[in-house]
Amino acid sequence: MHGGHPVIQHTSHNQDLIKLLEEQLGKDVDARIIREVAEHMEECPDCRVFVDSVKQTIKLYRVTEKETSIPDNVSERLFKVLNLNR
Amino acid sequence: MAEENKIEKQLIEKAKNGDKTAISELVHRYSSRIYSLALRIMRNEEDAEDVLQETFIIMIRKIHTFSGRSSFYTWLYRVAANVALGKLRQKKHIDSKVSIYESEFETLRGSGLHNWPDQLDSRINDKQFRECLKQAMVDLPENHRAVFVLRDLENLSTRETADILNISEANVKVRLMRARLFLRDQLMHHLKCMEGIR
Repeated sequence: MHGGHPVIQHTSHNQDLIKLLEEQLGKDVDARIIREVAEHMEECPDCRVFVDSVKQTIKLYRVTEKETSIPDNVSERLFKVLNLNR
Repeated sequence: MAEENKIEKQLIEKAKNGDKTAISELVHRYSSRIYSLALRIMRNEEDAEDVLQETFIIMIRKIHTFSGRSSFYTWLYRVAANVALGKLRQKKHIDSKVSIYESEFETLRGSGLHNWPDQLDSRINDKQFRECLKQAMVDLPENHRAVFVLRDLENLSTRETADILNISEANVKVRLMRARLFLRDQLMHHLKCMEGIR
């Protein structure tokens, strides 16, 4: 993946993927390598399905596992246990 | 933001000196977030409430040890995550489950992935599908679930998650990817069973 290859263009399309790879691989990995891996993953059908499936799984959980506000009765019991005024 | 931090710092100092109004304010500020976190990790309301109460009991007892090296919410999340994981370990013997999970992970990984449906969003209102999402989270081993919850649902950084769970950043990354793959494969398995995807 080194030398001889043209510098991969940083398209807006693969920004998410680059971010994901940076997170996973760490900051020590050369940015050029990360871009090239992202480019491969964009073009390879198997890698594409892999990345899309992981992204979609995360999205599904973000949608369905919304932050829950504390119910009033739970809050009331909490303050009582802690011997505090609400 | 700076003003907000200053106010919180003052509240913490007062709480350290036993000021009940300040303690009460801190409980108000964080109880919803801690309850939500507890519910995501424990997966049931009764246990989440236990974790919530225990977290704030510990906060009151131990707030004098808070040095300010991390943010207060990171400190409080650490308390809550430890309480939650401790309870889960008591209930399920976490270590034995991890070894089962590892073999499940190898078996499920990538199976039938080429048939991954393009648009799963449309199934979100399907009751059976939502149950499947919930069950997959229940089946996810607790220490991996905690990483997934903190990183992907609570949007904390790798560093913060590592601090809270007292594990290395590398370990956070490994557990996070395994958790994501486990959940994805559980969903795939469910979809295959439901719809006979080949």
